[in-house]
Amino acid sequence: MIGVVVLVHSALAFRFFQLQVLDFDIYNQRAENNRIRAMSMPAPRGLILDRHGEIIVDNYPTYILYGIGAEIINKKHNYNVISQSTGIDTTVLKKNYQNYYRNRFVPTRLAKDLTINQLSRLEEEKNELSGIIYKQFPERVYNQKIHASHVLGYLKEIDRQSIGKLGEDNQYEYGDLIGWSGIEKNYESSLRGKKGVTYYQVDAFGREAGKIFGQENILPYPGKNITTTLDVSLQQLLETELRGRRGVGIVSRPETGGILAYVSAPNYNPDLFTGLISNSDWQSVIADTNRPLLDRAANGIYPPGSIFKMVVAITLLEKKLINPQDEIFCPGSYEFYDRTFGCWNQNGHGKINIEQAIVQSCDVYFYEVIQKIKLDELAEAAKQFGFGLETYIDLPSEMKGIMPTQQFMNRLYGRWGWSQGALLNMAIGQGEILVTPLQMARYINMLATKGKTRTLHIVQNKNHNIPEPNISNRSWNLIQKYMSKVVTAPQGTGRLSNPKIPGLKIWGKTGTAENPHGEPHAWYIAYGEKDGEMISVVILLENGGHGGEMATPLARNVFKHYFNSNRTKLAKN
Amino acid sequence: MLRDFRKKILKSPISVLLPVSGLIILGLSTLFSITTTTQGQTPLNALSKQIIFMIPSLILMFIILLTPRRIIHKYIYLIYGCIIIAVTLPFFGEKISGTYRWINFGLPFGLQPSEIAKLIIVIALARYLSDHTLKIKNFYAIVVPFLIVLFPTMIVLSQPDLGTAFVMIIPVFTMLFWIGSRPIHLFLIIAPLLSVFTAFDILVFSIWATIMAVVIFLARLKLWHALGLYFSNIFLGLIFPLMWGSLRSYQQNRLLSLFNPELDPLGAGYQIIQSKIALGSGGFMGKGWGQGSQTHLKFLPVQESDFIVSVIGEELGFLTLLIMLVLFSWLIIKIIRLALDTTDRFSSLVLVGISTIFLTHVFVNCAMTVGMIPVKGLPLPFISYGGSFLLSCFMMVGFVLNFGREKLD
Repeated sequence: MIGVVVLVHSALAFRFFQLQVLDFDIYNQRAENNRIRAMSMPAPRGLILDRHGEIIVDNYPTYILYGIGAEIINKKHNYNVISQSTGIDTTVLKKNYQNYYRNRFVPTRLAKDLTINQLSRLEEEKNELSGIIYKQFPERVYNQKIHASHVLGYLKEIDRQSIGKLGEDNQYEYGDLIGWSGIEKNYESSLRGKKGVTYYQVDAFGREAGKIFGQENILPYPGKNITTTLDVSLQQLLETELRGRRGVGIVSRPETGGILAYVSAPNYNPDLFTGLISNSDWQSVIADTNRPLLDRAANGIYPPGSIFKMVVAITLLEKKLINPQDEIFCPGSYEFYDRTFGCWNQNGHGKINIEQAIVQSCDVYFYEVIQKIKLDELAEAAKQFGFGLETYIDLPSEMKGIMPTQQFMNRLYGRWGWSQGALLNMAIGQGEILVTPLQMARYINMLATKGKTRTLHIVQNKNHNIPEPNISNRSWNLIQKYMSKVVTAPQGTGRLSNPKIPGLKIWGKTGTAENPHGEPHAWYIAYGEKDGEMISVVILLENGGHGGEMATPLARNVFKHYFNSNRTKLAKN
Repeated sequence: MLRDFRKKILKSPISVLLPVSGLIILGLSTLFSITTTTQGQTPLNALSKQIIFMIPSLILMFIILLTPRRIIHKYIYLIYGCIIIAVTLPFFGEKISGTYRWINFGLPFGLQPSEIAKLIIVIALARYLSDHTLKIKNFYAIVVPFLIVLFPTMIVLSQPDLGTAFVMIIPVFTMLFWIGSRPIHLFLIIAPLLSVFTAFDILVFSIWATIMAVVIFLARLKLWHALGLYFSNIFLGLIFPLMWGSLRSYQQNRLLSLFNPELDPLGAGYQIIQSKIALGSGGFMGKGWGQGSQTHLKFLPVQESDFIVSVIGEELGFLTLLIMLVLFSWLIIKIIRLALDTTDRFSSLVLVGISTIFLTHVFVNCAMTVGMIPVKGLPLPFISYGGSFLLSCFMMVGFVLNFGREKLD
């Protein structure tokens, strides 16, 4: 029996020896890890500025409320107290706790975006609460003058799936914010900055128990500020002009491709995504049949209507298939085999040459002349102007639109399923041609610079410049002359776009795009120049009616605002 | 009278008190280390409570030391009855940390009657085994002793307190063995339990079945008995998984949590990991008294009672633990020696029972802290914090001093 006693004690002594002497290094290391806690400190995201340095997106400190499972005594009681002093529903708290729970010792997020006000009320109840802590967090805050929601984009809490997709070396932790659309997404890597790390000693409940001697914190490295080409005052004006409508307005500088204003209406308040807005507001955005979340400028596709006519005109002029003096009689409609194609002016334009056909936007003229070329020739020419091609703007998503070719039509309708009549429709920008407003912005910029424009951008050029079209100076000059007449001639469809500022010259073209959704879409593309300074404007009003009546006044206001204001000379970016 | 007392004390095996005082000093200094750096000290912290409990403990030890053995012998069945009532009393009170272990007198501490019950059971059993001239080689002779123990054990088990129940049941085996019971009989008592537990793994069960066959063969039982025993055990092992499967999952959980109260992953697993880290990081010499990061940052759970060995290991190192184990073996071997020396059967049985209790406590506690066996809440004698347990430890020392004394009366 004494033997048993000795045996038992020897076994224990051996086990102690094994743990304490043989495996000392392993456990010593683990003990160190046990008491040192590293906590990431969020890096303030880079600001987003307009071209004059005005802040569009800023950070402001908000507070996030956490619960620590191991220290919470009565969860239900906590929820009730928090709910009473902050107004956050208990079901929300409960849901958050379940969503973010990792283990009993790690703080679990209960609520975010707490204001100082809510926090101070919570502080009064602090004795009632157990295991509740809060931390400061820099939250996005937006310039109240503008929304610019589709350009700026928004941040989203990253979920576990997305973290996995980002590859192994990414810095993201579950619940971090990541740019999810717009330039927040496109410039995520520079805006994000680098998270810092605070080291501190913790007890077993994860409670802070003092700093660790000799262990320096790593400070967060703030994200880079981003200066955009946007102009807050112009953006504000354009947003005001488009308020209550469905449509797009884009203002850019043809020489550089820099975008001054970018509006897709209706838009939404970017605060929506920071969680400051109530659930019901969010529901109303989602349920809105006008789809405010859709970026119509980049992802909306529309028939271009008459604004396409310059492509046809240039192509025919280049191929010397028409003469500027040649006249065609427009009776108001055009017979083509067994079909009748109408001109928008049912009374007819009478005898008309190419200049007048563009100024008055006569359709019959183009029905007649388009027959001189094949569909693929037209498609080739249109491609030079970027139809059917991405603009490579620095935004995360855009549509390419459609510029049909013979092959495309064969595929769509079958070899014999379509006829030359389709080409007639395309001559006036109808039929299968579909474009995005951004493509039209590039198009007008090319017309303004004789093809020397640069890629559209909001922050910087991504060097995807499309090659300069192979078009003679004569054709460019003629087209620019016609577009000038559109604004200056008494019958010009774009005359309402002229703010009549001395020294300001305007070129433009209206479009009235028939579509199956009701009233035609109203288009107007134009550029204006004064003292060597040039801007271009694209206006689209969905189902807005006649381009000449509805879209042109918006452009006029843009020109008036831009060229009237005593702005300092702009940086040429 | 006084002279009589003096004589009694001097004739006692006082050397037993040497390892005891060594262990007490180690325990108190460890508690001192734990409590000095704990935030939010209360006037009655673990250390001061422990010191206060020393007083009644020592008094009780002396009373027991001076009580004539025949009086103990005479009244032990009565005390046994009382203690069984005491053990059931907590069920009428309120639940403390999910169990019915403590009786609350409105004092700043509760009393845990099951701690005292262990040694009362040992003494009652000793009386039964020494009073009756049992045909101890006969299997049926060990049934009554088991009943004496099993009755209070079942009550304690349902408190639930698996650790204490375990300590209660073990001395029966050593005491029966001591008076000459055949080991095969003791083996046969454990056999059904093992058959049930091993039944969950086919390999383990096969090994068990082989061992059982060999043991039964070597025991040279009558063929009829041997076959009956063997196959009833095998049958039990085979039928049990089926019975288990027919239980609903909540019923299974209820049974499982009886044997492993800390089934949740953050409970027992976490405690063992932290305990091993604390021990392992202590090294040979330890981090120094009051310097244990795992202890003082509260990584170590129940550090003043069940996991106090980890504290000692972290702060004072392997060397101190080795000294501690030497002190324990000194104490326990000393008690067994006394049992061997006494001519009185009752006394030697009491001593054997007590040594078994000590050994079980030391083994279960230490083995648990190093992760050799699952977590069972058993304190370490003389070192762990706990009033009732300290009281019972000193009572046992009192009995050792009394029963180890050469015959005077």
